[in-house]
Amino acid sequence: MNLIPGAVSASRGLQAEQLRMEVISQNVANARTTRTAAGGPYQRQAVRFSEALGEALSGPMTGSSVNGALTSAEIVTDSRPPVRVHQPGHPDADSEGYVSYPAINVHEEMADLISASRTYEANLAVIRNGRALAQQALSIGRRG
Amino acid sequence: MTEALFGGINYMAAKKGLDACVERQRALAANIANLETPGYRRLEVSHTFQQSLQDAVRRQDGDAIASLRPRASVDSQATAKSPDGNTVNLTDELMAIQENGLEHGLHVQLINGKMSRLRAAISGRMS
Repeated sequence: MNLIPGAVSASRGLQAEQLRMEVISQNVANARTTRTAAGGPYQRQAVRFSEALGEALSGPMTGSSVNGALTSAEIVTDSRPPVRVHQPGHPDADSEGYVSYPAINVHEEMADLISASRTYEANLAVIRNGRALAQQALSIGRRG
Repeated sequence: MTEALFGGINYMAAKKGLDACVERQRALAANIANLETPGYRRLEVSHTFQQSLQDAVRRQDGDAIASLRPRASVDSQATAKSPDGNTVNLTDELMAIQENGLEHGLHVQLINGKMSRLRAAISGRMS
């Protein structure tokens, strides 16, 4: 059932942006985390977007030619080295008195967050428009 | 027999236009979903479809209209404005979606107009 044109792409876009917002909030929450289960400071996470092949969109069922156009998002670890700050009294300080903090810039995260929420809204607009199209199509043949 | 009722050139063209609008909506949805995908190149319903439809209507060629299929393909004219090579521009896509919605409404009205005229002719009264 594919009543709303473009709904599959848009919902995948929504999911991807939602994942991005969750990762951003995790980064901000862990901006000062110096100890993790894996040892060492928290490593910043990022979301990588890629184009995924969408069988659901093309093929004989829908007759649509839009394929390979679903977006897929996966979490990747940022490889930036931690920032070393001289804090001899800190429990996680090394032998020279330096503490390694995650290389997280809150301003960068906030800018990313705004970008993610704007893209989320754009995908919602696509679904609204697709719904209007479906409603118009359903009015074909209606009397009055 | 019903072919005589629904075989009009303009009516068939309106149906094809409707197909093109749905396909374009899918392409635009894919473009917006891939707003942040590096290297993504935007899709569009090719201009050749519109051109062939116009030509077929001008020639009053019903068979040519029936055989047309709107297809989305990579827009080779679009240039990347961001360094990652993505050619999607949010404003342009949102504008295109609004225009597409209006065009879809136009085709629906054309089809509805044809239907209500047929209904009036069959029943002999204007509904």
